[in-house]
Amino acid sequence: CHTSGMLTPNGKEYAQKIPREELTHLILKLLQAWKEPLSHFNQHHQELPDDSLSKAKQISNMVHELKTGVEKSMGIISNALNGMTSSEAAGLSISNEANMMSDSDFIHCFRRDSNKVQSYLKILKCRIMPENSC
Amino acid sequence: MRQKSTSSPQIILLLALTAVGLTGQSYPGKPKIIRCRSLEKETFSCWWKPGSDGGLPTNYTLFYSRDSEEEIYECPDYRTSGPNSCYFDTNHTTPWTTYNITVMATNEIGSNSSDPQYVDVTSIVQPDAPVNLSLETKTSANTMYLWAKWSPPPLADASSNSHVYHYELQLKPEEKEEWETISVGVQTQYKVIRLQAGMKYVVRVRCMLDLGEWSEWSSERRIQIPNGESPPEKPTIIKCRSPEKETFTCWWKPGSDGGHPTNYTLLYSKEGEEQVYECPDYRTAGPNSCYFDKKHTSFWTIYNITVRATNEMGSNFSDPHYVDVTYIVQPDPPVNVTLELKKPMNRKPYLVLTWSPPPLADVRSGWLTLEYELRLKPEEGEEWETIFVGQQTQYKMFSLNPGKKYIVQIHCKPDHHGSWSEWSSEKYIQIPTDFRVKDMVVWIVVGVLSSLICLIMSWTMVLKGYRMIAVILPPVPGPKIKGIDTHLLETGKSEELLSALGCHGFPPTSDCEELLIEYLEVEDSEDQQLMPSHDSSHPSKNTKMIPKETDSDSGRGSCDSPSLLSEKCRECRTLPSTLQRQDVRDVQENKGGKTSWETQCIASEQKILLFNNETAKSSTWPAAQLPNNQPPMFAYHSTVDAHKITLNTANVNIAPVLVGNEEKRQSQYPVTETVHNDTEKEREMENLHSKTDQTTAQVKQNRPNDKSPFLNPKLMDYVEVHKVRQDEQAVLLKHKENSGKTEKYTVPGTSKEYTKVSTVVDHNIIVLMPDSCIQHTSVSQEPAMETSPNLQQGQAEKNMSYCLTAPSECKRETSGSEYMDPSSFMPSFK
Repeated sequence: CHTSGMLTPNGKEYAQKIPREELTHLILKLLQAWKEPLSHFNQHHQELPDDSLSKAKQISNMVHELKTGVEKSMGIISNALNGMTSSEAAGLSISNEANMMSDSDFIHCFRRDSNKVQSYLKILKCRIMPENSC
Repeated sequence: MRQKSTSSPQIILLLALTAVGLTGQSYPGKPKIIRCRSLEKETFSCWWKPGSDGGLPTNYTLFYSRDSEEEIYECPDYRTSGPNSCYFDTNHTTPWTTYNITVMATNEIGSNSSDPQYVDVTSIVQPDAPVNLSLETKTSANTMYLWAKWSPPPLADASSNSHVYHYELQLKPEEKEEWETISVGVQTQYKVIRLQAGMKYVVRVRCMLDLGEWSEWSSERRIQIPNGESPPEKPTIIKCRSPEKETFTCWWKPGSDGGHPTNYTLLYSKEGEEQVYECPDYRTAGPNSCYFDKKHTSFWTIYNITVRATNEMGSNFSDPHYVDVTYIVQPDPPVNVTLELKKPMNRKPYLVLTWSPPPLADVRSGWLTLEYELRLKPEEGEEWETIFVGQQTQYKMFSLNPGKKYIVQIHCKPDHHGSWSEWSSEKYIQIPTDFRVKDMVVWIVVGVLSSLICLIMSWTMVLKGYRMIAVILPPVPGPKIKGIDTHLLETGKSEELLSALGCHGFPPTSDCEELLIEYLEVEDSEDQQLMPSHDSSHPSKNTKMIPKETDSDSGRGSCDSPSLLSEKCRECRTLPSTLQRQDVRDVQENKGGKTSWETQCIASEQKILLFNNETAKSSTWPAAQLPNNQPPMFAYHSTVDAHKITLNTANVNIAPVLVGNEEKRQSQYPVTETVHNDTEKEREMENLHSKTDQTTAQVKQNRPNDKSPFLNPKLMDYVEVHKVRQDEQAVLLKHKENSGKTEKYTVPGTSKEYTKVSTVVDHNIIVLMPDSCIQHTSVSQEPAMETSPNLQQGQAEKNMSYCLTAPSECKRETSGSEYMDPSSFMPSFK
């Protein structure tokens, strides 16, 4: 996966040890890293049946919204802006890589990264608002 | 000829045969019982082979008898064992008895039965062959042995698995012919040693019950005995699981060990790394397993896991197994499943089911999010109803049937990839039925109460319907005030009217005194005058009255009812010796009624008092004093008459005779009237009596007694009592309906009493009573309570129940002046 280079906690303890901001930053980085490959995927796979295409589009929208939502809720737009430049650069190279992936790998990597993002967000949520079904 | 004669029977036979041959129908052929067999000594079956069916549909019936008993039974079950069979179940099977079995084939033409077969259950026992034979080679202590396992034959009903089978095993090398037989005993496994390595063996097994025959041989199994020098077989990895997304375990299954003890090692590598690691923990999770603790577990990483089997001769690797721990999470089942019955107000009770996530799962930090699902079924039900609950740990159940028992189970799964946990242990729910029972109880109670009430109502209606009706729907009283001069009313001479009415029943103010004109003397002549007039009027009146009596009496009590009054009057009449005994029967009637008469009648006479049987005391009236002279001019509807009568006789001790007749009347009249019981009446009577002693009925007529208008039973004259006062004479204003005269009568010489109008009877009878009387007597029930102002209103009610006996007494005292029946003018005041 093109995001394999990112250093992400791969266990509960590691994820809990990371400070909040860093975790949030990680999430955003992940989401950012998938923005381009997803749109690229949608562009280049018009041959898919309609419902698959719409699903893919829906997914990339969701990723985008999730990213925006996280940014807003964490109030780190400024940081994101800062990080953007660097990550954009990284993202470009990464996305080049992503474009090379086979479809199955693409989907496999996306599945994993989305699971990562979900887990990190949940940990964040329970850290910030523990009373909410945690 | 001979030929002909001899051939005729032959011809017939021929014909018959041809007929048979042509049509092809005949009686069936003889069936034959093939075999009978019992599987387990408790049931058995017999099979037969049909003979020819003779071309027609044939029924087969099996008959049997036991042990040379005479009775013949038929087969209980033709189906279970298939066609042409008979199955004897446990109820029909008795061991140690000989069955004599025959099969009969029947068709339209005839029947044919088989030869009898003698069957002893115990001798025909033969079980089925064993099943599930499995073979394994094992090595222990450097020896290779063959381990054979099997299962006993399955039974149809599977209920009695307590049969002990003896087994026998046979094996031989594949190429050989001869079997080696090994007696196994009762075990379902056996280890065979002395095997030649490298050979292929064939194994089979059979069984037997303690008596009977050996079963058939089971199907054969082959196994290759490995050489002692071969590497182990490839193990296989079964599965890997993580219970809480923090650790995981893998299990494998070893292959054959190739004749030597084999070691198993698990090796793994992570995605992106070349390094191969060995399993950190072989023990925690049991044999042939590997446990990865937290340190060794990485997420979002693919593990490449293999198992290696090693023995002296070599090693073998399993196929690699790739696993990402994120996707192999299978939690433990939820715990702490609890039920709570909640009973909110105004709503049906419902059940709340709560549970906790499994203890290992870390839900608090959000690392693992679980979703729950529960399933529900009634205890006797077949299918589960599955309900997806989501991430909450409680569930409210509203729609369960009360009184039924339910089983509920819960399981969970991670919200993302993963698998469902096992179901939690069964939890039983018993829905309480109490509120339902309460419903029933309430309805039953309501039903019973209402039926009781209906019964009571109907009973009272039956018994006292008349009176009830009278109470509920009081008849509208007609104006019956004789004394009132309708002309007076018409002409609107208010003064006279008022005066006529003034002292009667109205609050006895001093006005009455003013109205008191004079001492009213009732004289014979007057009486006679009156009487004739009264007579003239009265008869009509009477006639009128009577009907009125009968119909106009409305809510009045027994006293007031016209019939009562008439009766009383009659009684009054009869009382005084001089009085015309008119309706002795009335007296008797009254006597019958044990009620104490109100002084009403008594007033007239002591005799009247006689009516008050109960109150015997009161009966001692100086009857003689009663107005012999004063024929009861008044047909008192009420005791008023009686009073008048008594009044005539000055000496009359007006014993307050409570009208017990009311009670008697009660039977005819509404209950409301007679409230007093005898004792009370007696008491009252006594009181009255005493009082009257004190105050003897002082109503004295001015006139000689002969003019006792009171006692004229037929005369329903009434005198209007203008005023009732103690020590005064009652001013009785007599009104004649017809004559319109208003005469005032005063009772002379009554030092004490007064006559108070105790009641005004419907029928326009003023019941004047001495105070004492009044106290005890009830005011007429007529609503016109107001007409008797002097009456102690408090007792009015009470008095109401009394007929105007009391007043009658008073009237007596007031000397038989005629009383105007205030009721005649009553209505006007109403």
